[in-house]
Amino acid sequence: MEQIVFGIGITALAGALATVAGSAEDTESNIGSQGDPNSQVQLAPQMGFVHRIFNKAVAGEPPAYGLWCALGAGLAWAFLAMQINAVLAIILGSILAVFVQGVYATTAYLGRTASLSKFGQPVYVDILKSMTTVAMAHAFVAIFCTVTICYLINAALGHPFPLPLLAFIWGIALGAAGSATGNPYYGKERQYQNQKFGAGVPISASGNIVRYAEAGERNSIDNGFFTAKFGGPASGLCFGLIVFLELWRTILFENIGAGWGAIIVGILVILIFTIIDRYIEVWARKNYGPYTAPAKEAAP
Amino acid sequence: MTAIAAKPAAGSIMNPAAMAVGVVLLIILLAIAYVVSPTLGLMALIGVVIGGVMIGFGVHFVPVGGAPAAMGQAPGIATGVAMLAAGAGLAGLFGGAWAAEQGLVIAVITGGVGGGLMMAITCMMVNFVYVFGMGIPAASGKVLKDPITGDSQPEYKSQGTEGHGLPFISFVGGVIGGVLGGAGGTLIYIELLDLYKATLPTMMGVTAAQALPIAISVAGIFAIGLFLVNAVLTAYNITGTIEGPHDPKFKRWPRAIVASAVASALCGLAAILIVTI
Amino acid sequence: MTVKVEVIEGGVPHPKIMIAGLVCTIVCLYLSYLNVYTNTAMFSFFGGLAVVAALIWGSNTIKVLCSYGIGTGVPSAGMIAFGSGVIAMLLATKFGIAAPIVALVLAAVIGLILGYLANDVLNMKIPVMIQSLTELSIVGALTLMGFAVLITGSFTFTGLSSGTVTLFGALTLPSYQVSFIGGGLTAVAFLLGAIAVQHPFNACLGPGWKQDRMLMLTAECGFLSMIVASVMSFALINAASAIISLIIALIGWVYTYNEYIVLSKRDAAAWLDSKPIPDVEGH
Repeated sequence: MEQIVFGIGITALAGALATVAGSAEDTESNIGSQGDPNSQVQLAPQMGFVHRIFNKAVAGEPPAYGLWCALGAGLAWAFLAMQINAVLAIILGSILAVFVQGVYATTAYLGRTASLSKFGQPVYVDILKSMTTVAMAHAFVAIFCTVTICYLINAALGHPFPLPLLAFIWGIALGAAGSATGNPYYGKERQYQNQKFGAGVPISASGNIVRYAEAGERNSIDNGFFTAKFGGPASGLCFGLIVFLELWRTILFENIGAGWGAIIVGILVILIFTIIDRYIEVWARKNYGPYTAPAKEAAP
Repeated sequence: MTAIAAKPAAGSIMNPAAMAVGVVLLIILLAIAYVVSPTLGLMALIGVVIGGVMIGFGVHFVPVGGAPAAMGQAPGIATGVAMLAAGAGLAGLFGGAWAAEQGLVIAVITGGVGGGLMMAITCMMVNFVYVFGMGIPAASGKVLKDPITGDSQPEYKSQGTEGHGLPFISFVGGVIGGVLGGAGGTLIYIELLDLYKATLPTMMGVTAAQALPIAISVAGIFAIGLFLVNAVLTAYNITGTIEGPHDPKFKRWPRAIVASAVASALCGLAAILIVTI
Repeated sequence: MTVKVEVIEGGVPHPKIMIAGLVCTIVCLYLSYLNVYTNTAMFSFFGGLAVVAALIWGSNTIKVLCSYGIGTGVPSAGMIAFGSGVIAMLLATKFGIAAPIVALVLAAVIGLILGYLANDVLNMKIPVMIQSLTELSIVGALTLMGFAVLITGSFTFTGLSSGTVTLFGALTLPSYQVSFIGGGLTAVAFLLGAIAVQHPFNACLGPGWKQDRMLMLTAECGFLSMIVASVMSFALINAASAIISLIIALIGWVYTYNEYIVLSKRDAAAWLDSKPIPDVEGH
């Protein structure tokens, strides 16, 4: 019984850390403009729309966050092997991983912008100086939380994988969850704020991103508060639910039915989420209504 | 990530001669494994091939929209297909590895459920953001009616786009893809782990308990490497984006089965040769 | 609508870079074998130099491959390179002193077959696919071997899987968990290399691509990875050797990072500090 209570406590802590990590990850990737929405930041100067947005083209979020988290964990593992205190080891590992992340961000911005010289897009050194540190700060939160989750899973819950391998897995999962949830919100709502709300961006408007903001010219730090309104918490909720439910169903039910308990609970949870998703979809169709009148169908 | 202009028509055509060569290669690789290690090695290799095929096939189900999806111009999830599938499959592998001592069947199914759970939560949150954060309902651009629910799609597609969000068939596709990916990755891991647990102690001259961390780590990194190879090959097959099982591109799956089988057999053979030569 | 990639030409031809990279990497890996003859770990830094050489070769290969427009992004090329490379490298470590050559051959075989599968079975029909995937596979295997040497001082299976754990500051016991393989550091090296090999082409993508800038960025990524890998090596080799690797990596990184900024300044349209958006054709 005590084992389970301890396990549930660790699970709750891991779930909370995962929520923070997901939120920080999405905020960081929107401040740096990483991943699929970045194709618009790259495209805009080619269509004549010069801008002051940070063009952080460092792979997509899953492999990038896989690297930062695995690196943080590998360094933490090395420090732990040198008998350094666990908390200090994780902090030091995360700091060094964030240093690598910052350097990659700067080289990506310089490289992409220098290659767009034909279209007159200048390199803004002040953008480089201000965005990089802000992005590094958010990345530190995300990396630290993820490495701590992996440490807890390895040391307190007894998972067989070593720390760096766990961080590889959860880093990629963090990037995938944060990217899937947060990218459309940043790409459509923020980059194309000038388009009508409630519809996708028409293909003819590609490249025409918002470059002039509420006060002056938009830069990427403005995207930080915007993400924190909805995209960040949604990504945090997504990753937090993933970590929490995965650990919860294993800790509570793995000994019931010789392992089948956890499987049945997992299937039930998948069905619950399917029902929630179907409800959301039907609600949208009913409340928002179609864009045009339903056409007469020529073929089924 | 998709900053490269898509190659015009990589072709949905099958290439029967190449697929036949692929099958021959597969048989040769299985034969080598049989010669080198008839019982343990061959069983492990067959398990790895089945796991790899499950991963390759499962990735076809995952709805990925790429860069256009990030702007509400195409349905699907706005991430790269290889890494999204890797994320789901690895989350499944995490759960499956934990259940490893409870037997092969339970571990593989647990891995599948883990991957499916991650995809279910992610797909639900994607729709959540589209509907409540952006005010856009889900609509597919490739079919007139959703195959499962019968909802009609064209009038819910905003003007100038190919669709957006995750219609129900795409959601189901995503979950199936996560289940197959997680189960396949776990199968590869468990097969290699059992092989290494049986052979590493004699090879390294240590006790079973001492060799266990090496066995786990090597099996784990092989599973991850195989996962990524299979996911990238499938990404090449569907040229980057797919809406789900209802997408016409889904019909290309036979090519991917052959490619995944041969690639997994090749890499699995290398994994087995570590302990058998 | 996605970004168009225009024809990217210019610079040193690829075969020259391939041969130079291959020779440099193998030579550096074998120079690190001096560790065995001198019974120290002083020459581990050659592993890091091997990594830099292999990455320079690999990033040019990715440029050649991705210029044809493969339909997916650039990072997946790095992933498949290292996915196949890690398998070849782990098998090759069983062959003692012949490990780098065996890794080369095995990775070439795996890459060849993967290239054939991608080009013919999956019908991608890209002229350079088979050669590029073969090269990338070799690059992946040799880079991982370089990281292994840098962090542990050897490239044999026993060297990579054994380590020691110190109890109460004095008693040292053999432990398989405190090792490159047992501790899961292969995963870290995997991602370090996979991101470092595709980042230079991905970051310098655009109509103004220049080869010298891209290769300088590759060297910078290589030395950056060497910095963090040498910090990790403090746990597995003695402090003096690790400090040598760290200092060489730091000097290399500072130099290449400065050079990269100079080259970016040379190529950029303008280098502005706190200036507004210029008026371009009335947009």
